[in-house]
Amino acid sequence: MNYLLHILILINIYIVLSVSLNLLAGYTGLLSICQAAFYGVGAYATALLSLKAGWPWLGTVAFGIIISGVISVGIGTASLRFRDDYFIIATLAFQVLLYSIMQNWIDLTQGPLGVSGIPQPLILGWQVSSNGGFFLLSLFFSALTFLFVRRIVNAPYGRVLQAIREDDLFALSLGKNVAAYKVSAFVIGAMLAAIAGSVYATYITYIDPTSFTVNESIFILAIVILGGSGSVLGSLAGAVFLVVVPELLRFLGMPSSISANIRQILYGTLLVVCMMWRPQGLIGKYSFQKDGSNR
Amino acid sequence: MTDKWFEIDGLNKSFDGLQALADFSCSVREGEIVGLIGPNGAGKTTLFNAITGFITPDAGNVTFRGVELIGMPSHEIVTLGIARTFQELRLIRRMTVIENVLLAFTNQPGERLGNLFIRWRASSIKEAENHKRAISLLEEVGLAEKSHGPAEDLSYGQQKLLSLVCCLAVGANLLLLDEPVAGLAPHMIEKILLIIRNLQAQGKSVVLVEHNLEVVMQVCNHVVFMAAGKKISEGTPEEVRNDPSVIEAYLS
Amino acid sequence: MLSQYIANGLQAGSITALIGIGFLIIYRTSGFFHFAQGIILTLSAYSVFFLLATGQLNLPLISIIFAILFIYGFGLLMEASIFQPLRGRGASGTTLLIASLGIYIVIQNSISLLFGDDTLSFRWWSVKPGLPLLGARFTTPQIAIILCSWVILVLTWVFIRYSKIGKRIKAVANDPTLARMVGIDVERIYLWAMGLGSALGGIAGILIACDTDIMPTMGMNPFMMGMVAAIIGGNTIWGTAAGALLLGMAKHIGIIWIPTRWQDAITFIILLGFLLFRPQGFSGKRKRKAAV
Repeated sequence: MNYLLHILILINIYIVLSVSLNLLAGYTGLLSICQAAFYGVGAYATALLSLKAGWPWLGTVAFGIIISGVISVGIGTASLRFRDDYFIIATLAFQVLLYSIMQNWIDLTQGPLGVSGIPQPLILGWQVSSNGGFFLLSLFFSALTFLFVRRIVNAPYGRVLQAIREDDLFALSLGKNVAAYKVSAFVIGAMLAAIAGSVYATYITYIDPTSFTVNESIFILAIVILGGSGSVLGSLAGAVFLVVVPELLRFLGMPSSISANIRQILYGTLLVVCMMWRPQGLIGKYSFQKDGSNR
Repeated sequence: MTDKWFEIDGLNKSFDGLQALADFSCSVREGEIVGLIGPNGAGKTTLFNAITGFITPDAGNVTFRGVELIGMPSHEIVTLGIARTFQELRLIRRMTVIENVLLAFTNQPGERLGNLFIRWRASSIKEAENHKRAISLLEEVGLAEKSHGPAEDLSYGQQKLLSLVCCLAVGANLLLLDEPVAGLAPHMIEKILLIIRNLQAQGKSVVLVEHNLEVVMQVCNHVVFMAAGKKISEGTPEEVRNDPSVIEAYLS
Repeated sequence: MLSQYIANGLQAGSITALIGIGFLIIYRTSGFFHFAQGIILTLSAYSVFFLLATGQLNLPLISIIFAILFIYGFGLLMEASIFQPLRGRGASGTTLLIASLGIYIVIQNSISLLFGDDTLSFRWWSVKPGLPLLGARFTTPQIAIILCSWVILVLTWVFIRYSKIGKRIKAVANDPTLARMVGIDVERIYLWAMGLGSALGGIAGILIACDTDIMPTMGMNPFMMGMVAAIIGGNTIWGTAAGALLLGMAKHIGIIWIPTRWQDAITFIILLGFLLFRPQGFSGKRKRKAAV
């Protein structure tokens, strides 16, 4: 039972990560490979502030959101000058930079040693310590993220984002401040990812830079794409699928040393297969195809 | 009908050594339909791009109701009251016809994030209103039946009509139309000319780039002929047609 | 001591130049960021290791040649089995990028699975003090690496500039539609570009392995440096070489002021600086879409 709850908690965390990236990548068409960096920012904010400064968990979440917000405004504004493919490279650069900071600013983050002993959250008198408790906590945030993003993408705001994805010059010619919309999507994505990080840190109680690498960013992107870009429900499905299936491998008796590799080979292959035969993903409405052809 | 409503003064732009606009000046009055004609590569689309902020000219001014447009971001120029269409027919093909029109409306509270949570009702109400406005605009041009299908399912002529409707939905006072009737059947052309004349009746102005000289003669009050980035001639359609320098420019 | 850093910088820069040019050829011709180039490096090094260490082919030079041919063939395989069909289905550059990401993940983990995550080495020579040259000590491998890199670089440039295929590569890079109209078999050129780019990456991977131990993640950082070099070099061959040298030097001379562990971060700060302030790089013009 505990194991089942553990899986569900992970699913909820990845729902937050993928839905937030979908807003940016699936709806606005801004493919970003730095979501894991913001995930890490939230995680480290929670880890360091609660452990070393005794902050309450919610306070650390708020701080993580604000820091992510500030960083992403900077990154977003700078990156938007670039054409589509260069934008991806810019996000890659930031991912590597932020990872480098996590790994090398030892005074702050303790580097490769990581931060252990992260306290569990005490929220308004409720001490979260069991897997059941964490399940409820993570469920709260994944539901919140799902509903929040769903509301904004079904509104005129979401319409503009999709128009930007399809033809940003056309959107501009209709008077939409395209740059502002892009930055806003990027910032929301970053702030939500930070929340996921805060939940992760307090649940696992130990974090180190290896959880927030380029590969992790690619994994989150894989969830979005495989589940279906441009569909919030798709990200839900993708998160469930990509968390559950590798775990099934463990049940088949595969030793954990190779299951990590197999898991990645699995989603790597799925990415290629998906692009070949079902680019819109499981429940998606959008594929990164050229205009009009082959939905 | 003030004289300084829309002024272009001494616009210059070169790309990689090619002079796309050479000291181009002209003005547009309120309620006027201006035809912009000239051979391919004359710089007509470049002019539109310069006016709407898609490119920055090397020199010159463009003022609209006294406000300098050069250096202003494109989306702000639209809010000032200038809208345009594109020669290559831009639309959001994957969205439905009505979504394209809804997209074009300005002042939508639902486009601002804050309103989606604090002023949710106001946003929904406005969206419903816009929905009605969109349907009526589409009815006027005969596209209402197709409103819930994707824009890419429309014929070329219908798509052109749709892009014009979107341009109208913006509610601008000066519309820059880049080859609005190119490649269309006569009945479609009539529809579009009717829309353009209606705009004039509402006190708005239209500048149209066109190769179809018959259309230009029919609907324009004023014609500007340009070639190689320069203004060669301007005046009434008759005057320009009979201007020897125009004939020469076409032949050379 | 400075001259030693310069020597090291020269070595790093030379290898990076090869990686960057391989990446560039694929990017300019096939029109997408081929992320999997990062693992091509690694795959190549492991191939040599496999051939040598498992006694399949005990002659080092032959093993190296085989590995390079293998990588070249692998590049062709990727292009023919994945990217070509994708293009046929109307894939955009982004779709190809995503497929390339997938390929990267699959191969990196396969290598991990087959060879483990610990470092390995196929070096058979003993470490000897280097030859003194201009105040620095160049070891024999270092000299070999630098010479090889530049010879191959020049050969590549000559090939692209003067050979029939090379000219067609340039034509496709400039305008695939136009190239097709004048009768160039564009699909075949894509194969050439991917093969050539992969081979260059493969050679670079082997050169890296001549001086450092190999591990499954070894390719990412050199690949990113190569990519950065291509971008700041303005998407031309010699610009990339210049950019690569700049980065190599910055990285190794930077040790004087900045601790080693921040070196990779420096590369990316340089990249971001260029992207922000001089997106056209050292040379060459890029057509930029109207930025919003």
